[in-house]
Amino acid sequence: MRTRTAGRVEGISVNGPLIVQSDKTLLLEVDHELADACRRAIAPFAELERAPEHIHTYRVTPLGLWNARAAGHDAEQVVDALVEYSRYPVPHALLVDVAETMARYGRLTLSKHPTHGLVLTSTDRPVLEEILRSKRVTPLVGARIDADTVAVHPSERGQIKQTLLKLGWPAEDLAGYVDGEAHPIDLAEDGWSLRPYQRQAVDGFWHGGSGVVVLPCGAGKTLVGAGAMAEAKATTLILVTNTVSARQWKHELVKRTSLTEDEIGEYSGTRKEIRPVTIATYQVLTTKRKGIYPHLELFDSRDWGLIVYDEVHLLPAPVFKFTADLQARRRLGLTATLVREDGRESDVFSLIGPKRFDAPWKEIEAQGYIAPADCVEVRVNLTESERLAYATAETEEKYRFCATTATKRKVTEALVRRHRGEQTLVIGQYIDQLDELGAHLDAPVIKGETSNAQREKLFDAFREGEINVLVVSKVANFSIDLPEATVAIQVSGTFGSRQEEAQRLGRVLRPKADGHEARFYSVVARDTIDQDFAAHRQRFLAEQGYAYRIMDADELLSEG
Amino acid sequence: MSDGSSSPSTAGHTPGGPDVPAAASGAPRSLAEALRARDDASLAALLRARPDLLAPVPGDLTQLATRAGTRASVVRALERLDRFALQTAEALAVAPDPCPYGILAGLMTGDHGPDGQPGATDVLAALPGAVAALRDQALLWGDDERLRLVRTARELLTPTASRPSPTGLGPTVAEATAGMSPGRLQEIVATAGLPATHDPVSAVAALTSLFTDRDRMSALLDRAPAEAHQLLGRLVWGPPYGEVTANPAPPVRWLRDHGLLLPVSARTVVLPREVALHLRGGRAHRVPEPVAPPVPAVHEHRPQLVDANAAGQALAAVGTVEELLSSWEDTGPLVLRAGGVAVRDLKRTAAVLDTDEATAVFWIELCFGAGLLAGDGEADERYAPTPAYDDWLELPPQDRWAALAAAWLPATRTGALVGEQDAKGRTLSALGPGLDRSAAPEVRHRVLSLLADLPPGGAPDHGALLARLAWEHPTRTPSDLRPRLADWTLIEAERLGVTGRGALSTHGRALLRAGTRAADDTPAPGTVADPGTTAAAAVPAARPETPGPEGAHPHPEPPHAPTPAESAAAAAAEAAALLGPLLPEPVDHVLLQADLTAVAPGPLVRELADTLAVLADVESKGGATVYRFTPGSVRRALDSGRTAADLQAFLAEHSRTPVPQPLGYLIDDVARRHGHLRVGAATSYVRCDDDSVLGEILADKRSAGLGLRRLAPTVLASTADPAALLAGLRSLGYAPAAESATGDVLVARAAAHRTPPRTAPAPVPDGPPVPDGTLLGAAVRAIRAGDLAATAVRKEPAAPSTPLAPGELPRTSAAETLATVQAAALTGSAVWIGYVNAEGAASQRVIAPVRVEGGFVTGYDHTSDEVRTYALHRITGVAELAEDQV
Repeated sequence: MRTRTAGRVEGISVNGPLIVQSDKTLLLEVDHELADACRRAIAPFAELERAPEHIHTYRVTPLGLWNARAAGHDAEQVVDALVEYSRYPVPHALLVDVAETMARYGRLTLSKHPTHGLVLTSTDRPVLEEILRSKRVTPLVGARIDADTVAVHPSERGQIKQTLLKLGWPAEDLAGYVDGEAHPIDLAEDGWSLRPYQRQAVDGFWHGGSGVVVLPCGAGKTLVGAGAMAEAKATTLILVTNTVSARQWKHELVKRTSLTEDEIGEYSGTRKEIRPVTIATYQVLTTKRKGIYPHLELFDSRDWGLIVYDEVHLLPAPVFKFTADLQARRRLGLTATLVREDGRESDVFSLIGPKRFDAPWKEIEAQGYIAPADCVEVRVNLTESERLAYATAETEEKYRFCATTATKRKVTEALVRRHRGEQTLVIGQYIDQLDELGAHLDAPVIKGETSNAQREKLFDAFREGEINVLVVSKVANFSIDLPEATVAIQVSGTFGSRQEEAQRLGRVLRPKADGHEARFYSVVARDTIDQDFAAHRQRFLAEQGYAYRIMDADELLSEG
Repeated sequence: MSDGSSSPSTAGHTPGGPDVPAAASGAPRSLAEALRARDDASLAALLRARPDLLAPVPGDLTQLATRAGTRASVVRALERLDRFALQTAEALAVAPDPCPYGILAGLMTGDHGPDGQPGATDVLAALPGAVAALRDQALLWGDDERLRLVRTARELLTPTASRPSPTGLGPTVAEATAGMSPGRLQEIVATAGLPATHDPVSAVAALTSLFTDRDRMSALLDRAPAEAHQLLGRLVWGPPYGEVTANPAPPVRWLRDHGLLLPVSARTVVLPREVALHLRGGRAHRVPEPVAPPVPAVHEHRPQLVDANAAGQALAAVGTVEELLSSWEDTGPLVLRAGGVAVRDLKRTAAVLDTDEATAVFWIELCFGAGLLAGDGEADERYAPTPAYDDWLELPPQDRWAALAAAWLPATRTGALVGEQDAKGRTLSALGPGLDRSAAPEVRHRVLSLLADLPPGGAPDHGALLARLAWEHPTRTPSDLRPRLADWTLIEAERLGVTGRGALSTHGRALLRAGTRAADDTPAPGTVADPGTTAAAAVPAARPETPGPEGAHPHPEPPHAPTPAESAAAAAAEAAALLGPLLPEPVDHVLLQADLTAVAPGPLVRELADTLAVLADVESKGGATVYRFTPGSVRRALDSGRTAADLQAFLAEHSRTPVPQPLGYLIDDVARRHGHLRVGAATSYVRCDDDSVLGEILADKRSAGLGLRRLAPTVLASTADPAALLAGLRSLGYAPAAESATGDVLVARAAAHRTPPRTAPAPVPDGPPVPDGTLLGAAVRAIRAGDLAATAVRKEPAAPSTPLAPGELPRTSAAETLATVQAAALTGSAVWIGYVNAEGAASQRVIAPVRVEGGFVTGYDHTSDEVRTYALHRITGVAELAEDQV
């Protein structure tokens, strides 16, 4: 239809790997020869949003641009990176917007004043006037010291940063960190060493001061925490999701660092030890008694030099509130999946700190540090009577019904049979269903009511290979280190939770001794709400490049 | 004003004898004589520069001079002067009339000549050019010893109390003392130490000569108290008026007593012009600006980068227009009763385009201007794409862009005004009335020309550009749109991809070349206002050579020159040809990914884009397009008649990568459930418990016309409406009963809506079009011939040129009456006529002629406050009105 006459213009990167979209997303063609260079150039300011197989999507957000400013990049570098790698001309409006957005950073600074304590200073008086007129800022600031300076209540340091960020005038925090009570900690790198990406993550965090490190499940986030502690060499408070996880942290720290058992305390429902390194559970911190949180005092009980938040995407709201008051201490957030179904990702960034390191799962997999996984969605056809029962079920019961059908159970059993001899986890949401599966598979069931001792015993037996199949409830979603698990079968979940799906996949991603592939099955009832939830659950992993294969349950059942 | 004459004849021209060729020797004594002395080329240049003089072609040079002196025409000409020419004219207006060149130069540079102030050399260098320009424009006549501003221009530029001049000078001593009592004058003369005289005229003369004598004046001022100097310092550069109290302070009293401040009213005093000039060292202007401010390039981008950016934007522009119009083709917004689009619809459209409302207005107006969009003319009138849009869609992208750009360049509709209020307080709406601004194309053209003067890839400083435009075209009122129009031009040019990163692109340059060519012949009066004509003569370095100012050369174009429309079309084609290779090659494939997205890594070929737009939702636009497949989008594709197999094959064919399994499953799953329920349209139905009766009806041949179909054993559906069905069944011999019509649904799919054929709105240029060479040549010949006839033999005695006594009817010749009335009709101004009615009664009337034809003039009669028609032959004479009389 079109005729073309001339060749391409010279001197313009007509075939770069990057396409800059007008909605500020960046599309990176992965297979392009310049893709890696481009990725490095845009990583400081663009958030990786999706990483499927061919084209990765990054997004340029104000937060990302400000973080880049905070890390010492300027608008010129950002514009250069975009222009250099872009295949098509970059929309001028976008470049202007980048420059304008970045220019907003640093007009306000938080710093320590020798006499007035924490102060907010502005190089641009109208901006200061504008923000001081905001109702949300007024309660956070104290007296006006001079035309360009206003005092800030030290306890509101986090709050005011968060508020200013929302107002679009991010403050540069130059007030620094307290060193905390010194305590010698070193990595005991005997026969192992931090992997390159772990080292990068530690460095990125340490230079940034505070922040979040995002690494896939099984990629060794604990070691990043240990590395950060070895940098801080100070008393450390580690917040984890549950007791089992706390024990694993302790075990790992003793093994990997110069710390001894005695230096590490556990602060949980059962034990209340406060030692130079203290590992506390979110649960105990958020226990409420007579309207107050008695255990939040833990934050003040020592002069902590570092606070590590494990699985920071699960950070409960009261801890959020308290974290805002800890801005003078270094904070490290660790997570595999920074997606919160409550949409509070940005609170994590503003309170813990910006994302300091992020690695796509597939990249770590390519480096061999996590096992490759084959994700399969098994679609189960419900029987006529099940469909009828599903159709007439109450709305709130529908998911439970279709997620726990007998057909699904049969398919699950077939899957377990198929992988006989391999270490298999069956993961589900509903206890009845799990009990039934446990009975049919003749496998032990771990659920909320299982005691910690019993859990550890079963996990040990599984690690040792004494048990092949373990049926677990959502207690095993996180931080359970089961390196030998190679097959996970998910029979039901917490509705459409994306991070749960990712965490469950994470259970089988520890690299296998023989390097073979992990399998992750998600058993889904076709044409029901179960399928819709499954589609939503898979989005995070699909965007990380895990291509789900779909399998018909009938094929599976017919093979035997 | 200065001469206080109420003569109806216009500047310099006295009808009749005195300006007969007898004056050929020596200096011209009137504008008409000065014009007569010019050669044809110079006359043609005048007519080109002031095309309003040509409508209609004047009968002779006297008429031409008359018309050139009319107020409206002079205002127009003054508005088109650059700042230095205007400053020169302003200086002349405060100088004696006639004014020798030397005095004018003194006013421009000050008493000390070229050494007096920095830049004086430039002033002296530029002044001959400015004088020549004024003379070319017939605003100035007379030789260098006797320079005379056309009287109307002088009146317009001479400072008065109500209309201060940019010079900041006040009235002369003679003017300021006009109403003063002789006794008061005597006191001033005495205080100033001048010999007493009882004659006020000689007193004023003595005072004037004191004030203009630098030495005596300095001596007088030396005696003034220090505070008085401060006071004078405040008034010297204007405004020259000051408020005084009833009992003023001693320094003020001293100044007043010496006549250095003259009373205007009880509380106001004025600094006489002569005093101010003395204090200023003889300068009429604080800062003469002889040289056009340069517009340097502040950013020098690589031209390729500029072109690439502009091309990207051009592609986006074409895409946006398509998106806009396709969103309006189902149900476009309703046309408001007053015309235009409602704010609500505008907001919705802006949301669709993912932009702000101002930008959306630009695109809407652009489509309208390009004739792609119009009201459909139906009862509930809506906006919809025109058939021209379908043709436009068929064009390759570069031609689509060229069509838009070619419509934008000469457009007078100014969408950026939307949301503001007109003079009557009505809010201007997009596509509504009242958006035409005749200056827009000229400003647009000038801005782009200035960009074109920069080296390729050069982007100017915004402020410098505006300063240059302000110099070339000084704004006289704060409401002047020009600076804003210039702003909008820069924004819109960027949006449209004419410029990239603020610099003119190669294809933009090509577009403009035609604009320049056309500007010689078309309304864009860029050449008229073209400061190059004045500045370039004196300061050639101030202006880089461009092909632009050809228009200034007084050579008529060759008669076979292309018409403006042709050259514009040629330029658009040239621009399109340059743009074509810059646009990305359309791609014919997409990349399918397992997260159910498809990425098109560039603009897609049309068929592929159309199909994908149905099959998937667009998630992100730009250089590439990201599509997402959802059950809804797949269902939409199935609804449009495609089968799952079609879709699978389509994806497999156009994907560079294997179709991911989840996508295949998605399509199959949706397809499996698609069409399970069937919905159809039936207009009526027949139901009967006895299905054999229904069978009987179906079997009857006569029922064929009823469109019956069996849906169930006891139900027939029909395409006939219930009444027709009832009638049909009755004619078959049945006795059907009508049922209350509930539950039968009419489903009609709306077709893409088009208006009837529409033409694009024509730009509304300001004033008559600039005549082309042929017309000019003919006009000059005609005027010469007429002039010869009018001046050759004169049998009848010359008409009396004595000023009219009050109450006397104005008397002018028939030709002059016609010319003046026609000029008034053109400019819409009012004239004063003497009229003798059918009964022979004479009267004077003030009318604003609207139409002059067939020997009658129709106009609004201010005297009787209604529109009336007068026979031209009954008009005894006509005179222009001073402005304040209307």
